[in-house]
Amino acid sequence: MAASEEALMWVEKYRPKTLDEVVGLKDIVESLKAFMRNPKTMPHLMFAGVPGTGKTTLALAIAHTLYGANWKSFTLELNASDERGIDTVRDRIKDFSRYSRTGFGGDIPFALIILDECDQMTGPAQTALRRIMEVGSRTSRFILICNQSSKIIEPIQSRCAIFRFSRVEKQAMKDHLICIAKNEGYTLVPEAAERIVDFSEGDLRHAINSLQTASAYKEGVIDEKTVALVIGEASPMLVQKMIRKALYGDFMEARKTMYDIMGSFGFSGTEIIRQIQREIFKMSDLTPTQKAELSGVIGEYDFRLTEGANSDIQLSALLAQFAKFGKGIEENYAEAK
Amino acid sequence: MTIVLNSRGFKLPRLEKEKFVNLLHLGLDYDRNAGLFSIKSYNNIEKVIETVGVILGDEVVFQQTCIKCGKSFGCKECSYIEVCTTKFLPFSCVCPKCLRGQSFEESLAKF
Amino acid sequence: MQKQSNLLWVEKYRPKKIEDVTGNDEAKALFLEWLKNKKHTRKAVLLYGPPGVGKTTLVMATAREFNFSVIEMNASDTRSEKAINAVAKPATSYTSLDNFSGAAKTGGNVLFLDEVDGIAGNEDRGGVNAILKIVEESLVPVIMAANDPDIEKLRPLKKVCLLVRFHQVRIPLIIALLQKICVLEHVKAEFEALERIAQNSRGDVRSAINDLQSLSEENHSLTLQDTMMLSSRNKDISMDDTLRGFFSAQSIADTSRLLSYSSVDYDDFLLSVADNLPKRYLDATELAKAFDHVSKADVFRGRIGTENWHLLKYFFNALAEASAVNPASYKPFTFITPPIRIMTLFWTKGKRTMLDAICDKIGAQCHVSHQIAREQYVPYIRLILQKKPKSPLAAWFKFTPEEVDFLVKMGRF
Repeated sequence: MAASEEALMWVEKYRPKTLDEVVGLKDIVESLKAFMRNPKTMPHLMFAGVPGTGKTTLALAIAHTLYGANWKSFTLELNASDERGIDTVRDRIKDFSRYSRTGFGGDIPFALIILDECDQMTGPAQTALRRIMEVGSRTSRFILICNQSSKIIEPIQSRCAIFRFSRVEKQAMKDHLICIAKNEGYTLVPEAAERIVDFSEGDLRHAINSLQTASAYKEGVIDEKTVALVIGEASPMLVQKMIRKALYGDFMEARKTMYDIMGSFGFSGTEIIRQIQREIFKMSDLTPTQKAELSGVIGEYDFRLTEGANSDIQLSALLAQFAKFGKGIEENYAEAK
Repeated sequence: MTIVLNSRGFKLPRLEKEKFVNLLHLGLDYDRNAGLFSIKSYNNIEKVIETVGVILGDEVVFQQTCIKCGKSFGCKECSYIEVCTTKFLPFSCVCPKCLRGQSFEESLAKF
Repeated sequence: MQKQSNLLWVEKYRPKKIEDVTGNDEAKALFLEWLKNKKHTRKAVLLYGPPGVGKTTLVMATAREFNFSVIEMNASDTRSEKAINAVAKPATSYTSLDNFSGAAKTGGNVLFLDEVDGIAGNEDRGGVNAILKIVEESLVPVIMAANDPDIEKLRPLKKVCLLVRFHQVRIPLIIALLQKICVLEHVKAEFEALERIAQNSRGDVRSAINDLQSLSEENHSLTLQDTMMLSSRNKDISMDDTLRGFFSAQSIADTSRLLSYSSVDYDDFLLSVADNLPKRYLDATELAKAFDHVSKADVFRGRIGTENWHLLKYFFNALAEASAVNPASYKPFTFITPPIRIMTLFWTKGKRTMLDAICDKIGAQCHVSHQIAREQYVPYIRLILQKKPKSPLAAWFKFTPEEVDFLVKMGRF
């Protein structure tokens, strides 16, 4: 068995440990380095941006820079979507500050609290968080991580230095993937890299996970076929099956497939709808006009999904729309078959 | 056996100070001259009934006052007792007789 | 007789005099005693109890009888700061606020905060503090009303408030009141019908009067049969019955009524409707239309969240539309129950717990939330372990053999 100290998930293994190791994100890194020169000047920070763009990485790098190898003793990592309520968050922060304060030496200016997915918190919870931040600001600094800063209440925003993270550039991501593969003893074919990059839509974490999975299929070379296999098994083929069933008018079966996908993969509604959108355009049995029309419908339900309470209801409603749509083009399908 | 009490005044056996204070705390009033307890606050009325029940060692119910005929009556004959959330509490109500006694024409004449 | 048919009976018959407020005599007495006491031992009073039992009505009737003005602030609508300012600047806002003298016939003002549980109920404690501040800074007596039976949340108010508890109004009292309204509205009502309305109301006078009006206003008569629609307010009615009523509804109005009376859990009901919709509408076009309405209902459910219950009517309306896409095509069918998601997802509690444990371990090693672990790690780790069962990854994540087995078998149909 391998020693368990070294990270075996590539995402972790290749996560930069210090600010210097971070590739890209130049402006943000420079500002953070300035804070690090005199940590006492560091305000609360807010990192906003889509998933897999380095927010957590930078937060952890700050922890490393501030506290060195001992970083875990002075850093509290919390995930708002995992904690049961603001009270739990409050309690954990309270406990932590009490405990960490005893460990403060002269050179430890404050404890670090990294709170991920803050935008999942309700308004009242955020108000409470604001208070927690106020009370704790003498002994601790917060790094708040979120996808959309607009979902964070104004008073919290105004207490933080906000950094916005944009999607990782395609080329940079491609280079990075090839580099990781090489380091692990694999040759990543450029087309395969391209495929992963397209698939992961700017989310580096997702991309690296796909890459590592592909590496488990075959030694030596990671080619497009292997990547396609990984991506295919990850669910898109099932999504196509679901779409076809709906278009052929078998709503019940289509819905069953939908539940299969959600159930077996643990995918969220948003993920599935994104896959539907992607798969529609891959389907050769639909005309461009039909695709465009369906895409409009998908867009509508994608939007409703973000506001609705039950993603499977929205997905079912979308499938019902497909069935209605399919009814109109039934003959075409009969021919195509 | 069930003990029926009148909310405007009822007697209790001699109590330890602690229990007495607790009763007053729960919202009872005590008239020293008459030696009668009465209910002042109804905020903890369920608790009052429970405590008095323990003191008297029996189930305690209060009489109701009918808003129509003014008479006192018990909950026992009421047909809504199963769904009533305030059964046996000393509130006013309408007694079964008054409730069903009036015909439509009778009540019409009244208003 | 003056025609006032467009008036809500609850408004029309809202008592003008204190003695006409039905029920809760003891609360009324306590409140009046507080009001009459010139040196208020406590500056504020909190009337609390279930909805529709006369709290607001009592305040309004008292104001009328004692001739004082009520400055009303809906606590849940008003930003507390604004409200405080309004009270703190009496000279500009209201004249002669300070001449309030309890029962004096000369009038005066009281501040009335309705639905204080709305702001005090927030997880944020600030709400209660805001109320305390209002009470503290107010120059006039403060009357508050709260629905929340959970008085614990409002406990801090106890120090500054007299608490007056309201109870559900008793069924015989409600029946008597309904009888009175029937006489005045010339409704010939069966006793059993009124009884049923009263029983269904759960001590809520307002809803009882509303029910009476909606059921009898048109025909000026009311039979027990007419009240059958109400049965769904009764908790014991099954989901099946509500679904049957829903799917066989002949009009949107039918469904709206059914839904507003129903006490089935909204979320369960929404899901059950979605589950059964394809069995109701066999035509693809109708199904798509109905699902579109259900989808909109779900959006409203999302917007309602845990706070915006005033949007509930839109939720109902959207659902109601789904029931009435084509009333003519209704044929009885057997409902899919339990909810389909439970049937197909094969997620037993044990498996869920196991997946949770797996996600915990992934989260600890990779600094991600459960959700991201589930969406972006589990599907891949599963594939890696399927391809390489002996991969050291399992040990690195500290997965147990059972967890590895679970992952390897996962997602295979």
